[in-house]
Amino acid sequence: MYVIVVYDVNVDRVNKVRIFLKQYLNWVQNSVFEGELTKSELSIVEHAVQELINQSEDSVRIYVLRSDKYLEMIEVGTSKVDVSEII
Amino acid sequence: MKTNYYITKDGVLRRKENTVYFIDKTEQRALPIQKIYAIYAYGNLSFTSGVVSYLAKNGVPIHFFNSYGFYEGSLYPRETLVSGDATIKQAEHYLDGERRSILAKLFVEGAAKNILRNLNYYSKDTNSLTSYIEKIEHELGQLPGYTTIPQIMSVEGHIRDFYYSALDCIFPAEFQIGERVKRPPNNKTNTLLSFGNSLMYATVLSEIYNTQLNPTISFLHEPFERRFSLSLDVAEIFKPIIVDRVIFKLINKNMLDETDFSGDIGNMLLSESGRKKFLQEYHERLSRTIEHKGLGREVSYQRLIRLELYKLVKHVLGTQKYKPLVMWW
Repeated sequence: MYVIVVYDVNVDRVNKVRIFLKQYLNWVQNSVFEGELTKSELSIVEHAVQELINQSEDSVRIYVLRSDKYLEMIEVGTSKVDVSEII
Repeated sequence: MKTNYYITKDGVLRRKENTVYFIDKTEQRALPIQKIYAIYAYGNLSFTSGVVSYLAKNGVPIHFFNSYGFYEGSLYPRETLVSGDATIKQAEHYLDGERRSILAKLFVEGAAKNILRNLNYYSKDTNSLTSYIEKIEHELGQLPGYTTIPQIMSVEGHIRDFYYSALDCIFPAEFQIGERVKRPPNNKTNTLLSFGNSLMYATVLSEIYNTQLNPTISFLHEPFERRFSLSLDVAEIFKPIIVDRVIFKLINKNMLDETDFSGDIGNMLLSESGRKKFLQEYHERLSRTIEHKGLGREVSYQRLIRLELYKLVKHVLGTQKYKPLVMWW
């Protein structure tokens, strides 16, 4: 499934969240990650993020799409990253 | 789904923030470690030892290719799936001439049938292919009578020769193969074939790593020292399905131009842009999925390679006879 993670986390913890998510997803913008995950990877990500954040202060949203086929993305301005597999 | 990464540029690979970074003069790319299946390195890469051990720990092999696109070697993580039983049985099938030739013939048969599928597809438009198809079918018919490896190899060679001559009927003049020449390839299509076949060997090797099979014990090819020849055997079946079809698409859709090749006739190479186009198509084809009849679900072409190896494991262990994959779609 294709997953988009957006987060609003206090600066004290934001780096931890970012560094963790980097292992699983592509960093597309400040506080936004995207990528393909399996069901089990998604639950790993979900639980790990839960451990990293402060439940009463931070917010993380995970949008789950069945596949990126169902995603239509409109990008305005300059793209910050290249996620292609051919470097 | 994990994915392959193909690095065509020169640069540095290092471990940073618990993931892998590709760094060169113009960019810094973070590759999510959990999503890397294998890395194919075409450029000059520098490594830190940190990244090497981190990749090994996560079971990611790196395959290296030289400027001709030929396979140079792999940095291969420690084997985790070792089975003494499977290795002994696999060697047994090599040592017993009869059992070895059974497997060798099956590889040739699978390859030939997939080649025929490709040609039959084009014979709808061009009648001139019919005579080549008949010749290949004739060669294939002879196969059961042969028992020695050189005989079987020669059938394979003849089939490939007919196949390439047949393709010359379809390809525009610029992409005629003429004779298959390697090391170095002498014309555009030979260059594409060499590049694609090397890539295929490495892809199969990545899959062998995930099974109990020993990559050095082969059946059709001789297990020469210092070569993972089992991947050559299994690649025979997949070359027509994956590599050849990538080449058909690149040529028939006019996707390549002069800037995608470098060097003169007689010493032709793919340029950086050519490599990128090829890798893009190759990657797309490996990730393409089809409905698998036996499993009742969608599987990618890359997964089909693994399933093929599982069939081979079952064959050497004696639980199920091996039947090569022939395109059913």
